[in-house]
Amino acid sequence: MKILKQISILLGVCIAGSVITRFLPVPFPASVAAMILLLILLGTGLLKLHQIEQTADFLLQNMAFFFIPAAVGIAADFGLFKNYLLQLAVVLVITTLLTFAATAFTVSAVIRLTERRRQRKGQQP
Amino acid sequence: MISEILTSPLGAIFLSAVCFVLGSWLQRKVRSPLLNPLLVAVALIILVLQLTGVPPQAFTDATQVIAMLLGPATAVLAVSIYRQIQVLKRHFLPVVLGCLAGVLTSVGSAYLLCSLLGLDRALTASMLPKSVTTAISMELSRQQGGIVAVTVAVTVCTGILGAVLAPLLVRLLRIRHPVAAGVAIGASSHAIGTSKALELGEVEGAMSGVAIGVSGLLTVLIFLFL
Repeated sequence: MKILKQISILLGVCIAGSVITRFLPVPFPASVAAMILLLILLGTGLLKLHQIEQTADFLLQNMAFFFIPAAVGIAADFGLFKNYLLQLAVVLVITTLLTFAATAFTVSAVIRLTERRRQRKGQQP
Repeated sequence: MISEILTSPLGAIFLSAVCFVLGSWLQRKVRSPLLNPLLVAVALIILVLQLTGVPPQAFTDATQVIAMLLGPATAVLAVSIYRQIQVLKRHFLPVVLGCLAGVLTSVGSAYLLCSLLGLDRALTASMLPKSVTTAISMELSRQQGGIVAVTVAVTVCTGILGAVLAPLLVRLLRIRHPVAAGVAIGASSHAIGTSKALELGEVEGAMSGVAIGVSGLLTVLIFLFL
């Protein structure tokens, strides 16, 4: 019964998320709208963590599992891009490395800057 | 008989679960980042489908229940963000600027490399949004005249690549701050990368989840100007 309640709450939030996106002027993914909505519900205390915790943790801990259909689907659509395999692979690897590095270095640099400013503020009386 | 079982929802979910459990078990035994559970599970499933002569399309049709749970699984990233809300408040600016740098690098470098390698407009449009979560990348690809199936494939490949490379890159690039590692994983390889980030640590997982949302939003905004 407890898990069923948690599932109902989560599915309700997801449905609300997809309803909201229908009223937005730009295409916006329903799952991200539901994520923002759930964060607001938790942040305002309208929803308590323990009301969804076990089911949420089950989904979080097994997240990769839910990508199996999409990943197997690559085999089904293989014909669409088999002539460009090498080019696509090159773009994929290089851009992923660059994106990772650019993000990580930017975050590290800005953290260093903001922490330094915080320290300086702390020192002033 | 076997093909009938594998294309029924029960049989397809059974095969997926068994292969994923095997993949997770193998990773714990061998401890190599290359043996990503998703990668192993998909390889095993495709092998089984090849041996039994079941078309992949028939199998994926039977696993729609699993694919449907991707929405709730993305939504509950809010729970991991909520648990780390203090970390997010403290590092709000670095997270947002990091995601912005990631999105610009991802879209920009993909565009440059695709033109350099002579890929046509439809394929290029299919590649541009590949670093953000599948739900967003599909929508953006369609808007830009890309091929949605190609976008789904390259988005999933990007995610798996990110999940496999993340632990290596964190060490290689000497990323010491868990917030920087988490945001970089989420911005470069969305939810599949995040499943790896969740294994690295609570902070990494939560920040990676935040990065999916923020990079997704920023990418949607940037595509308005393309």
